[in-house]
Amino acid sequence: MTAPAIAARGVSKSFGGVKALTGASIAVARGSVHALVGENGAGKSTLIKILGGRIAADEGSVETAGPSLRIGTVFQELTLLPYMTVAENLLLGREPRGRLGLIDRAAMPRLAEAELAGLGITHIDPRALAADISLAERQIIEIARVIMARPQVLLLDEATSALVEREVAWLFGQIRALRDAGVAIVFTSHRWGEITSIADEITIFRNGSDVGTFTTIGEDEAITLMTGQALETIFPARFAPSSGPVLLSLRGARAEGTAPLDLDLRAGEILGIGGLAGHGHRALFFGLFGAPGFREGRIEREGRPVRITAPWDAIRAGIALVPEDRKSEGLFLPLSVRDNFTLPILRQLSRFGILRLGAEHATVAESIRRLAVRTPSAQQPVGALSGGNQQKVLLGRWLLTRSRILLLYDVTRGVDVATKHEIYELIAGLAREGYAILFYSSDAEELAHLCHRVKVMRRGAFVAELPADALSAEAIVAAAMRESGQTETPHAA
Amino acid sequence: MRTLTVDTRRILYAIAAAIGLFVVGEMAHPGFLSGPSVASILVIASFVGLVAAGQCFVILIGGIDLSVPWVMNAAAILLTTTSLGKNTGAPEAIAAALGMGVAVGVANGIGIALFGIPAVVMTLAANGIVEGLTLGLSGGFTCSSCSSYAPPLIQTLAHGSLLGIPDALWLWAFVTALVSGALAVTRFGRATYALGTNPLAATLAGIDARRMTILLYALCGGFAALGGIMLVGFGGQASLGLGDPYLFTSIAAVVIGGVNILGGRGNYLGVAAGAVSLTVLVSVLLALSMPDYVRSIAYGVVILALLLAYGRENER
Repeated sequence: MTAPAIAARGVSKSFGGVKALTGASIAVARGSVHALVGENGAGKSTLIKILGGRIAADEGSVETAGPSLRIGTVFQELTLLPYMTVAENLLLGREPRGRLGLIDRAAMPRLAEAELAGLGITHIDPRALAADISLAERQIIEIARVIMARPQVLLLDEATSALVEREVAWLFGQIRALRDAGVAIVFTSHRWGEITSIADEITIFRNGSDVGTFTTIGEDEAITLMTGQALETIFPARFAPSSGPVLLSLRGARAEGTAPLDLDLRAGEILGIGGLAGHGHRALFFGLFGAPGFREGRIEREGRPVRITAPWDAIRAGIALVPEDRKSEGLFLPLSVRDNFTLPILRQLSRFGILRLGAEHATVAESIRRLAVRTPSAQQPVGALSGGNQQKVLLGRWLLTRSRILLLYDVTRGVDVATKHEIYELIAGLAREGYAILFYSSDAEELAHLCHRVKVMRRGAFVAELPADALSAEAIVAAAMRESGQTETPHAA
Repeated sequence: MRTLTVDTRRILYAIAAAIGLFVVGEMAHPGFLSGPSVASILVIASFVGLVAAGQCFVILIGGIDLSVPWVMNAAAILLTTTSLGKNTGAPEAIAAALGMGVAVGVANGIGIALFGIPAVVMTLAANGIVEGLTLGLSGGFTCSSCSSYAPPLIQTLAHGSLLGIPDALWLWAFVTALVSGALAVTRFGRATYALGTNPLAATLAGIDARRMTILLYALCGGFAALGGIMLVGFGGQASLGLGDPYLFTSIAAVVIGGVNILGGRGNYLGVAAGAVSLTVLVSVLLALSMPDYVRSIAYGVVILALLLAYGRENER
């Protein structure tokens, strides 16, 4: 290898006693793409932050090809200013000036539009507020902003987590063009298919250090290196759905931004919902949970019509929702594991409004055991747990409600492989016990392997239903994209 | 020994501050720590404590109630004008005063929860409206009945004692037990903390955020009215502006007591200690016989110093 554009040598970093990195090293050549893979907490994000100069290493050094190398970083957390427009965000700090040196506001959208078009982005309105565009669009703008600064080293931390296939293809096009122009690129991802399709080199991380760098490596071998143990398969073995009774039906149910929807969900089945982001999945799931409810149509619970206009109606009807964004929609991070578990079932755990703390303690202890939640105690603030364990607490909360219908909305996003595996096993086990599971995922591979059948949504309507024997990631993506390839991506408000 | 949580430490700080201030008072003015002196300071602190109990509820969900001063004042005037200083009308008068406080609180809650009006704006407007109504209906205190005294029953409650401990402190102890218990071991308490920590997640966990918000503001109005009733019992006669100092002290007691001003954290024991600290501070400054303006400055500086200490702790 020629002299690397950027390299880390024996880098260590601790955060208040927790070792995030211990003697990690990587070297990235000009004009190459270097993937960092590993479980959550393996130290990838920390290394990216150190390479980008955001934080300093405790030990070791970062060497660059030149003293004034331009390094651009796309962080895992989005950094757009929500109440500024897309154009204002893109041009922040380099706004066009008019006479008197004042900012030329009229020129900004045009300038931003031209720069975006230069990167092949034409479907995002530069006049829209950052808060009003979809998560995927925000991610794209975030990436575009960094690319526009013409970096010589580009660091991407989980930049594809919010993107669907077509947008990932766009990003990879950009990455290839930058690589060919001599840019050194480092990226992290949890999606194996993406990693192999773009990376020239792959470095695997485990427990804060690099355990090997490869030009080609199989997924099984990589997972073994990442976790330190062989995983036979990530997905649970297929099993036939029990042909239980229909627990939940929708008849002509229409939410904001969707067509009237029909659906039957049986006990013992995992019904997948697929499709590109922003095509009405969220409206369907949140509509079923009354947040807000459907505008018209019927919901039937075992054949009897039920009215669901608020979450407590849904909970009473035995329906549970695990949302995608566990930090803002699911959990109470500063509150204890116990408080997070029992909030919806406090009625059962109290008498005359006063909590029966003994019964609550027993219930929580049992849940921690059943779900193998790794926490020092039930009093631990849930925010101190790892992402995967947080997700288990959230799932466990709804299992406690004895809801038989589980709406799982992209529950494995940003969760590491080992915990994903545990969550899949848990979901499969619940289906075997007779739970009815409606499962949305932005990952088509996951839908194809876990679900008994998959309904694909496009523009707020079901456009295809794939039975078990026709299920594959390719089929799901094909159904989601059909006829929509040329048009702009619509997004539900 | 187990390490203490931030919450517990803050309560201990508030208690330590109260004790420290008592000691400073004794050094400045021997006799400050005598039984009657301490009892009278605690009685005055109890008025702050009652009002702060309500304020604590709304601040726990990230709200605030600025209508406290005139709800107190209106309750005091309502009590004296409807009872005309007689015990016979006292129960009805107390019910009317408390009912008025709860009604204003419900109105605040409705404005905030159903119409989405920011709490600062809603409760500030309510304060003005209640002030106007009180002045208008009482004729600006010119009518003969308005100069009535509080019923002897209430005056006894504010001045009397049982087993050597003032009645007002028994009442405060009862309220402290009730509020602390409600926050710690009831469904209501858990819902309050959940709502204050993450309103969206609380709603998605089945909590009726609107009903809880209205309920909490109603409680706040009720406690403000109770504070007004005790205050007029203590002073004997209602006066215009008697609630004014309690806007600042009720909020300061909550914050000194370790409740997060953004909601979700803290409990009433700390708030009670905060109420005592503030009252002792005023008494110490009085005992030091400072000029008025120095007292104001010292009061503000000490409160800022306390809050600065909390800010430091947050960074750890």
